[in-house]
Amino acid sequence: MEKHIYVSLMPEALVMSQLGPEEFGTYYSVGPERKTQGQAAFFEIDPGFRDPFFPIDQALALCAPHKDGSPKRSVYCAVYRVVEHVPVSALGKLYLVTKDGRTLGVDRAPSIPDDPSGLHLYHEIAPLHPLVVSTLGPRAFHSFFMGDTKKNIGVPALCWVECKLGELATNPEMGDVRDLPYENIDHLRSCLVQLKTKNVVTKIVERLNPSTFAYRTIKNGIFYGSGKELAMFPLPPVEALKNAHYQWWRSANM
Amino acid sequence: MNTDIWLYSGLVAGVLSVLAALGAYARVRAYDSGTDRSREIAGWIRSGASTYLRMLYKTLLVVAVVLGIVLSVVFSGIEEKPMHGLLTAGAFGFGALCSALAGWLGMSVAVEANVRTAVACKKGVADGFQVAFKAGTVMGLAMVGVAVFGMCLLYLIWRDVEIVLGFSFGASSLALLAKAGGGIYTKTADIAADLVGKVEVGIPEDDPRNPAVIADNVGDNVGDVAGMGADIFDSYVAASVASMVLGASFAGSIGPQYAILPLALCVIGIVSSFIGLRFVRVGKDGKPGRALNFGTVFSCVIFAALATAFFAAVNAVSGGDPALGLNWGVLLSTLAGLVIGVVMGFTTDFFTNDEHRPVRNVAEISGSGTGLTIITGFSYGLVSIAPAIVGIVAATLASYFCSQAFGLPGIYGVGVAAVGMLSLTGIVVSNDAYGPIVDNAKGIAEMSEMSHEVVERADTLDSAGNTAKAITKGFSISAAALTVLAMFAAYSEVISKYSGGGSFILNLQDPLVLSGTLLGCIVPAVFSALTMLAVTKNAFVMIGEIRRQFKAKPGILAGTELPDYTACVGIASSGALRALALPAALAVLLPLAVGFLLGPGALGGFLAGSIFTGVVFALLMSNAGGLWDNAKKYVEAGNCGGPGSEAHKAAVVGDTVGDPFKDTAGPSLNTLITVMSLVSSLFAPLIARFHPF
Repeated sequence: MEKHIYVSLMPEALVMSQLGPEEFGTYYSVGPERKTQGQAAFFEIDPGFRDPFFPIDQALALCAPHKDGSPKRSVYCAVYRVVEHVPVSALGKLYLVTKDGRTLGVDRAPSIPDDPSGLHLYHEIAPLHPLVVSTLGPRAFHSFFMGDTKKNIGVPALCWVECKLGELATNPEMGDVRDLPYENIDHLRSCLVQLKTKNVVTKIVERLNPSTFAYRTIKNGIFYGSGKELAMFPLPPVEALKNAHYQWWRSANM
Repeated sequence: MNTDIWLYSGLVAGVLSVLAALGAYARVRAYDSGTDRSREIAGWIRSGASTYLRMLYKTLLVVAVVLGIVLSVVFSGIEEKPMHGLLTAGAFGFGALCSALAGWLGMSVAVEANVRTAVACKKGVADGFQVAFKAGTVMGLAMVGVAVFGMCLLYLIWRDVEIVLGFSFGASSLALLAKAGGGIYTKTADIAADLVGKVEVGIPEDDPRNPAVIADNVGDNVGDVAGMGADIFDSYVAASVASMVLGASFAGSIGPQYAILPLALCVIGIVSSFIGLRFVRVGKDGKPGRALNFGTVFSCVIFAALATAFFAAVNAVSGGDPALGLNWGVLLSTLAGLVIGVVMGFTTDFFTNDEHRPVRNVAEISGSGTGLTIITGFSYGLVSIAPAIVGIVAATLASYFCSQAFGLPGIYGVGVAAVGMLSLTGIVVSNDAYGPIVDNAKGIAEMSEMSHEVVERADTLDSAGNTAKAITKGFSISAAALTVLAMFAAYSEVISKYSGGGSFILNLQDPLVLSGTLLGCIVPAVFSALTMLAVTKNAFVMIGEIRRQFKAKPGILAGTELPDYTACVGIASSGALRALALPAALAVLLPLAVGFLLGPGALGGFLAGSIFTGVVFALLMSNAGGLWDNAKKYVEAGNCGGPGSEAHKAAVVGDTVGDPFKDTAGPSLNTLITVMSLVSSLFAPLIARFHPF
């Protein structure tokens, strides 16, 4: 049976499995007997990837079929500091799994578009997961946190999603909330206003933010920055999702 | 003039109406039912609905036999009518049978039409609408046809409105079981499916992985097709019979034709509905709601024109003899009821449609927490009582004084106003039955993985169906209110008649009347509580079953194993029917207990109390529930934060609270007050003899 290596983002982990991405997504989100449950996101990475930080070969050796012939579902190889040790070049497809186990594969974008103007909302997924607002576009945000390692605040690698701000991106004071599902919207507005009134480029909205987020809030895609490298995994347009991945889209809209 | 022709016309109209329903049934069945998958899902729903109907009718059979024996024994004691007991029992059974027949036909076509509507949506909204509405007309036409045929037949044979009263009691008994049972069933499945499926597991609505999804879809049919249909059938017959009783009691002074006039008005209503149904079509704008409303308003105009022509024709034939002709005041009373009925239906729409402030306010305030959602929705529900009650008052006063101004007893005008309001039952029930059909169609489209365009078209049809259901509820509550006012007057007339002809007047200073009134006030509250507690109790059991299945069969969520749908269908069916026993017994036994123990005055007060609080409770619960439901849908449509937001979580709680309000307790109260009024009128001769005043 083929063995797969996955980088889980929720929670951060490196996992070996004999399940393909679709099956692994369902297993990972709903569990074998519904003992675990919840949204999941993970990358499938190059099976040839090795890093001295991870005992990958040892874990792969344990990833063998059960006595009854059924595939080994998961062997955990690492449960922290995973993202910082997996370079962008090792990443395969990103898989977004809904709470009820529907899995969508997302390809890496060949290039990253230029930063748009306006304010931005970033939901950091791994290894940290605060909710921050910023005047910086995704490229500048990546450079800001990962470009200069001598800065007080910086990370070697970060996976994050840019979330929709709708009218708040240009008019935080009066813009209509419409379908933005964020908690404490007044606080979010105030943080966005502070970006305009104070001399700061980022502002934390929530320190204790869960790593999960509503897929329907993804503005353009999920970003993975590692050192100087940045990759983007764009979510297909809504119409394309409805046409080709309707079941996933329905579950993602819950 | 010989008014028998009116009765024969009723028989012919009834038969034609049923034949038209059967024709529509056959045409619906001729539509494409889609792939094996869609047929399989529709088959599960059909099987679940059949299981429930079989259990319901078995229960009804037991109730009918027991009550029939009681009626035949009790009424055999009336000396001047030695056969009265047997005839009343027979009419009772016939009424229950007719109501069951109409309900069965409506349900049968609904569970055939759902899948065909989904398949037709592949072509477009208008195609889907055509199938669903045609299926809805089966229920509408069958119901009015069977009702008019039954009433005319009984009156033609026995010439005794008290026998027809037995027919109405039979219809009401079934309605109570069907409406309350259907209401308990549908909300048990709905709440359990949502709480485990959506909230705990995170699977969307109408997902085949949810073990309760079939029970939920079956519930739409048993609650909104069989239940609501039986409820309106009951009001339709009760309004006609109450007016007949009043007409018969005043026959000596105003002429015998007024006892049969309500049946003639029903025939005109059937013809109007026939014509109106032909004009219900989705136009190029693709808006099914507009098509449904146009049909209702158009039928209303046709009815007004035909009724006017009928009065003119009768008066022309009678040569201006008031003893043979028809008083124009009665026509005005009828039209007052008709217009106010339609207006009140649309008033309900104001409180439950998301295009208006109440629903939007509740949605917006939901972002600040569940407490505010409940308080605001409940408050709007309370406010919604006001225009409806003002409408009922307007209908009552207008019809009363219109008749009185033309020299007829005002209360007879109130009776025919109720008949006028219900004259459009054919088209109103067609609109109502359309709702659950398109709701099911959307579910089948989702479950059989049809394209998102098909689902969106079915959703468009469903939105119009929800509005139609809300309008029907407002209409049916108002009609029931006016009906029971007429029934209340009929009760007073029967008491007067059997007490030696003295005038029966309720005096609130009489402690017995006051006590009866207070006792009557608590019945709707207790009845509502019992039915809603039944929902929570059954939902609790079903939630346990759904959790058990998810745990025992991990493949359900992975999509590799099928859930056991029949387990949830069984829980909903048996739970609903078991829970009915106490509320149904209360409805029949309490008026008798009050009447025989405390006398006709106390029973009059009891009826008044139950009617007043019943109407208030019914309006409050139906409108607040509808409002919470649509506030949730408004948020889900991408407003106030959309799905997953704090507003959505609060709105979901509001909707869960509102579900048994609007679909179980609220609409069942119509039937409760009608059944209690009918029991009182039916047993009034015995109570009057037992307690001469």
